[in-house]
Amino acid sequence: MIRKRLTTRLWILILAAAFIALSAAALALRHAAPQHAVAVVYLDGERLRAIDLSEEAATWQFTVEQDGMTNRIEVRPGGIRIAEANCPDQTCVRQGWLEGGVTPIVCLPHRLVIRPESDTGEAPLDAVAG
Amino acid sequence: MQIQRLTRNALLTGLALIIFSIEAALPALSPVPGIKLGLSNIITVYAMFAIGPRDALAILCARILLSAFVTGNVSALMYSAAGGALCYLIMLLLRRILSSKQVWIASVIGAAFHNLGQILVAVAITRTVGLLAYLPVLLASGMIAGLFTGLCGQMLASRLKGPL
Repeated sequence: MIRKRLTTRLWILILAAAFIALSAAALALRHAAPQHAVAVVYLDGERLRAIDLSEEAATWQFTVEQDGMTNRIEVRPGGIRIAEANCPDQTCVRQGWLEGGVTPIVCLPHRLVIRPESDTGEAPLDAVAG
Repeated sequence: MQIQRLTRNALLTGLALIIFSIEAALPALSPVPGIKLGLSNIITVYAMFAIGPRDALAILCARILLSAFVTGNVSALMYSAAGGALCYLIMLLLRRILSSKQVWIASVIGAAFHNLGQILVAVAITRTVGLLAYLPVLLASGMIAGLFTGLCGQMLASRLKGPL
């Protein structure tokens, strides 16, 4: 009985430690300094276009379309977002503005990704991972 | 016996599907793709620990297939299949070393593996390794969701001790 309780405690300790480490990593990634802020749009893993957000002066939009799957992408000075999409889950629209950092905007049903990259063409995450 | 088993599994699959549909109708908790409570995992945890791995697998597969038809989001099928498979396998392993009071531990780890499976599929489909930036937040949120569904499943298993 006592042995069992000890192992439960050990489990709790391990899980709590893992959770704290993951949360710290998540926060660090979320607040990663917005650097350079070149947004690259990928469709099906293919690089469609790169937009240097720091050089944008006005707000404009363009649409990515493939097989009837459309994403209207909006660019403003320093930011980019998916303004409208005809995907079933609308997660990409809710993700809002991307203004640097590391985490990309994804539209999984349309296999569309907008990820921040540094102007050397190297993704921040790759740099973190070494 | 066979009919009883079939009926029970069908009932549990139906329950899981209802829970899934209700959760799918609620607004998403977070704009980060993949963060959700995964309440139908309660049924998987219950089936895994109170009935057995074989029936749990049958119920899980039926639920994943049917839920794609219910939501009409067939592209989500691959994500839930990969997540479900990883979650199932790790719970199958943990089942051997955990007592009936430690069921929630399997669920916490299982939910994290579920999200791991989903993100690996997402990386493969979009061919964008950068999606791994979501890994920590998805694993951490999966652990919270798994804790909740695991405790529910464990309570269910301890209260429904009789033959179901």
